[in-house]
Amino acid sequence: MRTVEMLHRSGVGVAPSRTIREVAGVMEQAGVGSVAVVDGDRLVGIVTDRDLVRRVLALGLQADARVDFVMTTPVITVGADDSLDVAFGLFATHGLRRLAVMRDDRFVGMLTIDDLLVSVVEQLGSLAKPITAEILFAQRDPAVPVVL
Amino acid sequence: MRASVGDRIVIHGHRIGEPNRDCEVLEMRGHDGAPPYLVRWGDNGHEALFFPGSDAFVEHYEHTT
Repeated sequence: MRTVEMLHRSGVGVAPSRTIREVAGVMEQAGVGSVAVVDGDRLVGIVTDRDLVRRVLALGLQADARVDFVMTTPVITVGADDSLDVAFGLFATHGLRRLAVMRDDRFVGMLTIDDLLVSVVEQLGSLAKPITAEILFAQRDPAVPVVL
Repeated sequence: MRASVGDRIVIHGHRIGEPNRDCEVLEMRGHDGAPPYLVRWGDNGHEALFFPGSDAFVEHYEHTT
């Protein structure tokens, strides 16, 4: 499966010149915990709700500051057509919770570790289905005829 | 996904009890109606770029010029 197929949630982006207050408003209205910071077509950073707590509230930074002042950059990315194995590797190597998914050097969405966990659970569920059925609805196999 | 200026994009709630959200398409930044879109959340909400995922669908409106 490709990473782009796992983008269950829409992505949201803002310009680097937007204020922290505006970005917090976008997060609230869009119902997202992270936004991509996009300059023209170029992804330049990511800001999460956790960043707003740690880098703004905790440090007493003004909400009128530009968002690129508190964004995380550079951004670890994964290709839209890369396999999920690549994404698993990046999450594990970098200790991330989110990966920016790119196509032709353009941001297309945010892959979260939750998306992958849901996929793993679904796969485990489909694996367990025949075993569960066997336990709950046990049937005796017909006896094998004995040929003398 | 293809959208036009003035269309409404609806995003399904992700948790039980979470209402759908919606935004209005103000500009198309991709080619031929493709994403991303510059959108406005709510009636007087903030503007942002929107990169649709599988949780979103477009409500097209007839546009008169």
